[in-house]
Amino acid sequence: MKKLKYSDITPENYYINRRNFIAGSAVFSSMIASGLTQNEAEASISQLSPNSLQEITNYNNFYEFGTSKTDPAKYSKKLTTIPWQLEVDGLTNKKGIFDLEKILNNKQLEERIYRLRCVEGWSMVIPWIGFPLKKLIDQMDPKNEARYVAFETLYRPDEMRGQRYKILDWPYVEGLTIEEAMNPLTFLATGLYGKELPNQNGAPLRLVVPWKYGFKSIKSIVKISFTSEQPKTTWSAANPREYGFFSNVNPNVDHPRWSQATERVIGEGLFGQRRKTEMFNGYEKEVGHLYKGMDLKKHY
Amino acid sequence: MIFSRSIKNYRILGLYIILLTPIPVYFYLGLKNRLGPDPVKFLEHKYGELALIFLILTLSITPLLKIFKVNLIKYRRCFGLVTFYYVFSHILIYLIFDIGLSLDLLVSDLKKRYYIIAGFISFMLLVPLAVTSSDKAVKRLSPKTWKRLHKLVFIALSLSIIHFILLSKTWTIELLTYTLATMIILLLRIKYKKYRLIFFNIFNS
Repeated sequence: MKKLKYSDITPENYYINRRNFIAGSAVFSSMIASGLTQNEAEASISQLSPNSLQEITNYNNFYEFGTSKTDPAKYSKKLTTIPWQLEVDGLTNKKGIFDLEKILNNKQLEERIYRLRCVEGWSMVIPWIGFPLKKLIDQMDPKNEARYVAFETLYRPDEMRGQRYKILDWPYVEGLTIEEAMNPLTFLATGLYGKELPNQNGAPLRLVVPWKYGFKSIKSIVKISFTSEQPKTTWSAANPREYGFFSNVNPNVDHPRWSQATERVIGEGLFGQRRKTEMFNGYEKEVGHLYKGMDLKKHY
Repeated sequence: MIFSRSIKNYRILGLYIILLTPIPVYFYLGLKNRLGPDPVKFLEHKYGELALIFLILTLSITPLLKIFKVNLIKYRRCFGLVTFYYVFSHILIYLIFDIGLSLDLLVSDLKKRYYIIAGFISFMLLVPLAVTSSDKAVKRLSPKTWKRLHKLVFIALSLSIIHFILLSKTWTIELLTYTLATMIILLLRIKYKKYRLIFFNIFNS
């Protein structure tokens, strides 16, 4: 596969109009790698027309910068993302603290156009740049007992003003089973729309798990550890009855206080129609096997 | 009810216009797609939040007079009706733009969603209050009945704040502020006398 540079991807003046946006070729090869034929990949991608950069960077849930969706764009400029270090801990043979630059050095960047479904009942489509999490995990050489991967966001209240209020138990933490983490769809993003990741979208390194509600896709990651026990995750610790460890997108399992059957499509304006939420956010073919025989009402 | 007949006073008419202006202005910005990526939620939340703020302001007017001797009573009806128009706009955005006039969604929301139920009852309680806002209505009902009827506003306020709490993911600063204001307003209304009676009974038993 050809190594994609930011400049190789659609020029900005072209993608500003999202209707005209055409997916780069890299995404097709990545879909093939996940077991789809070219035709299937094209079919499922052609339905996804990305939101504009303006929408993607001005409608964010990133409570580290404030609880309003416009706060992250307003207050994240201060965040220092260079230098950035990633700590690797737990059940691995490669414990240590690594410079992000070094980690990215040997990674081929590719583009993935994914729908992001928020637990609040809205969705948008984002053209990410990054690499599969699996590539990093392979490199980190986890031990056989490692059954889960835990992630942690930066804690730096002087740059992240939202962390000065204890609305959540900082630092933000998330987790996946090792099988989920190794799935070809699970992605670490370092950019979007062919550019470096904007701070409000989780710079410089964030997780993207497209079949789970958005809050699972943890932002500004500083630590990854391998564990044998299911790790703590911030939202399910804050409210275990409402947010589970798995948090897979599922139109048949409602949030206790609101329906998950439909979603508002961001960017459709005042007269936009609701869209029916799909099982696993439309990625059932790729990830359904991970949950075979599991009671999804119980393991929400 | 519309602006009520008592607008002989140009100051009050001006107040109505100023306080209601945000409704069409925000709606116009929404039509022009200038309210950010999600104009439906923006309008729904903005109208709803302003409704709650005006409800709290309306109910602060009496305590303001009793405790601080600041008399704004002649503006109270105006604030109350302005509240109602914000609530009404909020509900129209929900019905028309959020659920797209889908009866199915409305029915399932009203059956299962506690925050929708709380909000809807609160609105239903405000309707008779808005309808009986004129001087004529006060006379027709007799002031005593009118006063008793309008005590429903405290139930509407409680349900509104419950509606807001139930749809929030966390306790934001705004939510805390409105909840605190609501609690102060409700506590001020509980008659001091009653309290004394209760304490008296406890100590004598």
